[in-house]
Amino acid sequence: MKNRITWDFLMTRYPVFFPLVLLVLSVAINLYLQPNMFQLSTLNSNMRVFLPLILLTVGQAIVLIAGGIDISVGGIVSVVNTILATRVGLEGSSELMWQYVLISLLVGALAGAINGFFIAYLRLQPIITTYATSFLYAGFALFILPNPGGGIPSAIASVYRTSTPLSLPLAFYVIAILLLVWAYVSSTRYGKYLFAVGGKAEAAYETAVPVTLVQFSAYVISGFMAALAGIAITMLSGSGNADIGNPMTLNSITAVVIGGNAFSGGIGGVAGPILGAITLSVIQNIISFSHINTWWETLVKATIIVAALAAPGVINLFRRRRA
Amino acid sequence: MSKKLLTILSAALLLTLLLGACGPQATEAPTQPPAPTAPAATEEPATTEEPIESGFTIGISNPFISSEYRTQMIAELIEVNQEYMAADITTELVIESADTDVAGQIQQLQNLMAQDVDAILVNPGDVSGLNATLQEALDQGIIVISVDQELDVPGVYNVGIDQKAWAMESAEWLAEKLGGEGDIVLIEGFPGHPANVARMEGVSEVLANYPGINVLATDTGRWDEATGQQVMSNFLAAYPNLDGYWTQDGMAIGALQAVMAANPAEWPQGVGEGRCQFLNLWEEALTMNPDFDSIAVANHPGVSPTGLRIAVNMLQGKEVDESTLGGANGLSFVLPLAAVITSENLDEGLAMCEGQPDAYLLDNIMTEEEVQQFFVQ
Repeated sequence: MKNRITWDFLMTRYPVFFPLVLLVLSVAINLYLQPNMFQLSTLNSNMRVFLPLILLTVGQAIVLIAGGIDISVGGIVSVVNTILATRVGLEGSSELMWQYVLISLLVGALAGAINGFFIAYLRLQPIITTYATSFLYAGFALFILPNPGGGIPSAIASVYRTSTPLSLPLAFYVIAILLLVWAYVSSTRYGKYLFAVGGKAEAAYETAVPVTLVQFSAYVISGFMAALAGIAITMLSGSGNADIGNPMTLNSITAVVIGGNAFSGGIGGVAGPILGAITLSVIQNIISFSHINTWWETLVKATIIVAALAAPGVINLFRRRRA
Repeated sequence: MSKKLLTILSAALLLTLLLGACGPQATEAPTQPPAPTAPAATEEPATTEEPIESGFTIGISNPFISSEYRTQMIAELIEVNQEYMAADITTELVIESADTDVAGQIQQLQNLMAQDVDAILVNPGDVSGLNATLQEALDQGIIVISVDQELDVPGVYNVGIDQKAWAMESAEWLAEKLGGEGDIVLIEGFPGHPANVARMEGVSEVLANYPGINVLATDTGRWDEATGQQVMSNFLAAYPNLDGYWTQDGMAIGALQAVMAANPAEWPQGVGEGRCQFLNLWEEALTMNPDFDSIAVANHPGVSPTGLRIAVNMLQGKEVDESTLGGANGLSFVLPLAAVITSENLDEGLAMCEGQPDAYLLDNIMTEEEVQQFFVQ
């Protein structure tokens, strides 16, 4: 009896619980297959690859909480990547880099504001709008950098790639900051508004929540986070490619859903999606290290992801049956 | 609560065992010749410490699947490695092959390094995005060879054909075939993809020598047969008096199908590609129009298994004869084209396709002896 209550309690009150279980499970399997996984160099090389997706996922999570979806995030990543790779260049100074990092963040927020304007103020469908703007941004990236190339100075890239303050990967600190900021934001009135708008916009409107503004802001945040992801992936790869962000979009949505946020909005947080993003990446490692036959790799990976997505639903189904 | 925990833990354990068991077994799965006795590569690291002549582990990183080229490439790599495995020179290949992005391929490379491979064959999905990671591999003493796509990283060797020369071959043929005069269209691959850029450069260079040839339009078929067909149909409708077209790879099949479907009074002269499906289609086209002519230049996946042979020789300590190398940074093994099929040797091409699937690309893998030309004797 007590067990049952505990499970329900955990699932509803702590949406992070299930993603955490998934992460622990997948890390355990990864560790079994790759015993040196927690060596600092290995951990850092993993985390530096995961971080761009984590950043993107956080923005996506906030949009989903507010009841929307942002399919244009990958395009924004590409725009930022091409701006940095063309404007800073392989021989650029670090001042120039910081200058364009700031510009990139503004560009990201602006791209998000365009999405937000269409969706919040013109009341267009989020999925259609951001699908359309994703081509706008991807096209803009291709316009900036038609052929892959350019880059940022390798010294700056290696700051991102090799920094391990206090023997911990840089990504851990970034994640800690994200969690702290989110803990603060979600405790503010604005944080409550986000959940209210995502949960039931009409009701929120009737209780004097500035629905339009909150929706708008969610896309600005998402654009800003996409810009951060774009900066991170540029520092990871050290070069420019107008197609770099495109494949990340769906992963960010998958990570958010694995992280326990509801597609319908109003439920979830940021911690779960961060765990989801890491889980998604760890799953790829598991596939690598288990030496699954090449031709089966994609199928096996997709199966694991589908299972991870379906697991909470399946568990709940069985629980309802038993009850 | 403790009961729950137990359930979760046991589930974890079960999954772990399951996946662990999955590994070695799965390598014996379909289509490919199995390697029943070879232990999994992970179980014998630590062999990198002292110089040795055998037991090398080679890793493969491929970020793009579901194309015939890549499928043939992976299959051939496995096949050629069997040879070396039988002689105890190498162990089972560690293959990282999945549709992925730049970050994903960086992860592939990191995972190969984490598995203590001695050499990495990488088919890069990005011209420079992997550079820093490949440098880390070089710093660990790993031999890195980029196949199919030239990289400019000091210390990384490249193995492949000259993409520009590959395109010039068929462009030259088309220009000559038209007698240096006429209106043509170009259907290119992915704009911005390095191979496409090199090829289109080659085409421009050739056409610059033929001022009588007029390029009416250029469009992308995205290296896709269906798109190529659609683009060609549009061109045929827009330019009914088209004299010729230049295209590449799978799009050539689509383009020829479009011509056959439209069946204009005067067929434009078009270039083809070194794939069995195209050669078969060529034969069929001849029955419709006996004057039809084409050229098929193979862009062969065999460069990768040839690269594997080069890697093995390098691992065995043979010294590369740098005077045989070329390319942008002088570290490229530039391999000859596998096959150039014209109407004169179409029969030979069709014979090469005997018993091969439609998707088979005309191919050539250098033998162990042929590869020796690149090394100091």
